[in-house]
Amino acid sequence: MIESSKTDYSQKNMSSESNAQSKYFKSKKRQEQLGKIAIYVILILVSLILLAPLVWMLSTSLKPMSEIVRFPPTILPETFVWQNYLDTIQAFPFFKYMGNTLFITGFVVLGNVFSNSFIAYGFAKIEFPGKKILFALVLATMMVPGFVTMIPQYILFTRINWVGTYLPLIVPAFFGSAFNIFLLRQFYLSINNELIEAAQIDGANHLYIWSHLMVPLTKPALITVGIMSFNGAWNDFLGPLLYISKEDMYTLQIGLQSFSNQSTTQWNYLMAGATLVLIPSILLFFFAQKYFIEGMDLTGGTKG
Amino acid sequence: MAAEQRIEPKKKPKRQKMNKRQKKEALWGLLFVSPFIIGFLAFMLLPMAFSFIGSFTNYNITSRMDFIGFENFTRMFTNDQLFLTSLYNTVFYVVLNVPLTTAGGVFLAVLLNRKIRGISIFRTIFYLPAILSGVAVYVLWMQLLSPSSGLINTVLSWVGIAGPSWLFDPNWTKPALILMRLWSVGGAMLLYLATLQNVPIQLYESAEVDGAGPFKKLRHITLPLITPIIFYDVITSTIGAFQIFQEAYVMTENGTGGPANSLLFYNLHMWNKAFVAFDMGYAMAMSLVLFAIVIVLTFINLKLAPRWVHY
Amino acid sequence: MNSKRSIKLLKQSLILGSTVILLAACGNSNDTSDQESADGRTTLEFWSFWGSGARRETIEEIIEEYNASQDDVTVEHVYQPWGDIWTKSLAAIAGGNAPDVIVQDINSVKQRAEAQQATNLQDYLDEDDISGDFYPQLWDTVLYEEEAYALPFNTDTQVLFYNKTAFEEAGLDPEMPPETWDELEEMARQLDQGSEGNWEQIGFYPRWNIGVDVWALNADGGEAWFDSNGEVAINTPEKVEALEWMLDWQDYYGRDTINQYEAEFGSGVSDPFISGLVSMRGQNINYYTNLVENAPDDFEFGVAPLPEKEEGSGHWSWGGGFVLEVPENTDHPEESYDFMKYLSSTEVQEKFGMNSFDIMANTEANENLKTHEELDEMGQMIYELADQNLAVTTITPVPLNAPDFNSLVNTEIDAAFLGQKTAKEALDDAQESVENLAE
Repeated sequence: MIESSKTDYSQKNMSSESNAQSKYFKSKKRQEQLGKIAIYVILILVSLILLAPLVWMLSTSLKPMSEIVRFPPTILPETFVWQNYLDTIQAFPFFKYMGNTLFITGFVVLGNVFSNSFIAYGFAKIEFPGKKILFALVLATMMVPGFVTMIPQYILFTRINWVGTYLPLIVPAFFGSAFNIFLLRQFYLSINNELIEAAQIDGANHLYIWSHLMVPLTKPALITVGIMSFNGAWNDFLGPLLYISKEDMYTLQIGLQSFSNQSTTQWNYLMAGATLVLIPSILLFFFAQKYFIEGMDLTGGTKG
Repeated sequence: MAAEQRIEPKKKPKRQKMNKRQKKEALWGLLFVSPFIIGFLAFMLLPMAFSFIGSFTNYNITSRMDFIGFENFTRMFTNDQLFLTSLYNTVFYVVLNVPLTTAGGVFLAVLLNRKIRGISIFRTIFYLPAILSGVAVYVLWMQLLSPSSGLINTVLSWVGIAGPSWLFDPNWTKPALILMRLWSVGGAMLLYLATLQNVPIQLYESAEVDGAGPFKKLRHITLPLITPIIFYDVITSTIGAFQIFQEAYVMTENGTGGPANSLLFYNLHMWNKAFVAFDMGYAMAMSLVLFAIVIVLTFINLKLAPRWVHY
Repeated sequence: MNSKRSIKLLKQSLILGSTVILLAACGNSNDTSDQESADGRTTLEFWSFWGSGARRETIEEIIEEYNASQDDVTVEHVYQPWGDIWTKSLAAIAGGNAPDVIVQDINSVKQRAEAQQATNLQDYLDEDDISGDFYPQLWDTVLYEEEAYALPFNTDTQVLFYNKTAFEEAGLDPEMPPETWDELEEMARQLDQGSEGNWEQIGFYPRWNIGVDVWALNADGGEAWFDSNGEVAINTPEKVEALEWMLDWQDYYGRDTINQYEAEFGSGVSDPFISGLVSMRGQNINYYTNLVENAPDDFEFGVAPLPEKEEGSGHWSWGGGFVLEVPENTDHPEESYDFMKYLSSTEVQEKFGMNSFDIMANTEANENLKTHEELDEMGQMIYELADQNLAVTTITPVPLNAPDFNSLVNTEIDAAFLGQKTAKEALDDAQESVENLAE
């Protein structure tokens, strides 16, 4: 009796609970759907604002110069001049410059991701004397305006015969950059120390912990550094300008400048070129950001 | 080795001679940061020292470098009327720019940190402006900010606001540049988005069970967890904003910083001194002053950090 | 401390420090191109900012011909981006690995000569004086302490472009552009369409495309902010009048209208002249190429000298241009000079001018282009006008004692246009602060 009543009770209780639960879930579901719509509306609105300048860029790249100079400006081209793109890639050795840029960018990304995560680990997770002073130095290197060190740095690279090669653009990336060290240090600091201590107890050294624990755990952060390094090197203008002295070693950003001179700018070609240069960056980001979602799955569960 | 570690007490007394384990640990530390030390010694130390010494000279880049004591510094404060203008413009820009871009970055990241259909495309669109660089962007913005035909004033006119002349009205030039920076806030967004990947979903779930709404969750879970990156963003964007240059250089006539010097930023003034007047010594002195200002601000930031940054 | 020695000291310490990386990173020396090649020819590196279009094609053709014309030297042309070419050349000169010849800005030759960035060419000129081949005011810009440091290459001058169709519609004679400021004003009033706050066509506004400096110089008998004696001459009565005159124009059209137009066209993408919104505008004569390339086929325009302040005051105008320079401390100054001389010769100058529509520094080349059979009537007319205008064109080299004085003057002028100061007050204040800077 007692037992059965108990069962009854529990059953009743359960059913009422499930009833309440289903109600709760129903209203929650509706709420969630409304929320979802609201979010889509916001996302689309913000996207429109952000895309407007790009639409203008694209449209300029397809207009003839005679239409570009007109006022009021036309929003979409009256005549679509696809030829602009062909002219742009023929105005300078586009694919050669693209290869050069890719070469530099590849090394810079590699160097940056590797060296900065290595260095940042040292600053975030290991105790050693002088760490505070060294880290202050890292911060200090960010604060020196580039103009004043530009000339002495150029002289330095001249002395070691690096001017005219890609070395001044590539090699420093392998020795860390303050912004990225700082960024990754912040990421590493928020990783629980207990993980490291546990690994140490199992006999792992820091090299192992860095490569097998830290790097996988902070994949999104490393991808971020990779994306930023890619864009930085891909769009760098002053560096290649200063250090490269042969035209067949030039990069895309230098090539793009050839559409401007003292009296005129060929806006159509400049914008067509800028659009073409943008494409690899977009593709890279589009594919890389998928890892952000994977990162989320790893930490367990996803939202409805 | 493992056994040794196990016996050792976790907290070691500070300010004492290092024991064997600590020594080993210190060596590991130095190994890890050694690339930075080498890179600093090889590529940065000498140029930095050069520009430090240069600030006490009349260095003109190619033929002259005489020691002139503190003359550059006294000239800055007594005999260069544009120096204070440029400092004012820059501080104005920093004060508005840093909080707005930080908030903007967090906002976009929170908005985009969800698994819904098409999110990859939205993320890419939001990040796009941050990738665009070079002269094309500035020209593009000059068009957008055109008072009658530009998109921005057109949109403002829909809601009945008569937009200003932006880049040609001294009162509106700096806000115009800030608007431009906000547009490309996707860079900061990326950082926050990456951080949010480390926030355990269970935290949100248990908060929901406790009846927390979206704002409560943002306030009590999301924000505290991303404070390390907010801290990073505030410090680096302050440094970056103090060095604003290219926008003003490209978007004002001949890089002069007009109209009415409203876009004459610190680095633009420095550039003109260094590369127009060849007065590199003076420019180096200016950079030293800027360095001092930024380092004080960063120091304050670092001191305040423990109050609000949670690791 | 001796300045040269201290630079040397710093550079040596740089070398010392950098050996560290040298050892660490096996930096491979791929040495400069300044060496003799296998066939015994010297290679010269030549930097220009002509990266695309007619200028690039022409200069490369010219260089090819030069290389074929002799057996000693091969010139290699390297394009450097416009504007940034000079940042790069400055770094290269400081680093001691500058190219052999650079196209430089005409206004700063003295400045570079003083800073020992350019090689003194006087010895070569003493052997064979070619200074008479160039317009005299261009030649003046290359002299520092009476010795030459560059050869002028091309130049330009400010003129008045006007829309002939608009002239006809307004009942004006399209072959009779304004001669004086008064006529300019009268004609502008006839060309104006619309009224305050709603202009459909603006006859003329003096501050568009040329600045206060040009009109001040036009009014003051060709004397710039720094006069021909090198004195600060900013607040002369004529210049004050010029600024007052310009402020009147702003009052007439309204500051808001002007601001709006400036913002609208400030990026240099849309063109108000081609679009028919502005009927007359002062502009660099180079603008002709833009019109030929970008204006609709039925667009009729004329070109004339800038109007003079009053009859007899002179159609003074302002110009600029580029020079050829050998940086300091290069290995082959003699060969470089020979190449530069070739580029300055009448024949080569003529060829470059014909293809680019640049006004050349060589007087005879421009003379020939006036009647060159390969140019159409309009093209010949441009050279005719340019040649005539150069007689009243002032070049304004950067004053050595105040190279960055412009921002100070602009501050005061902006204040005047914002209504914060009168023309007189503004220029008086500018005079004072520039004198102060020049000290």
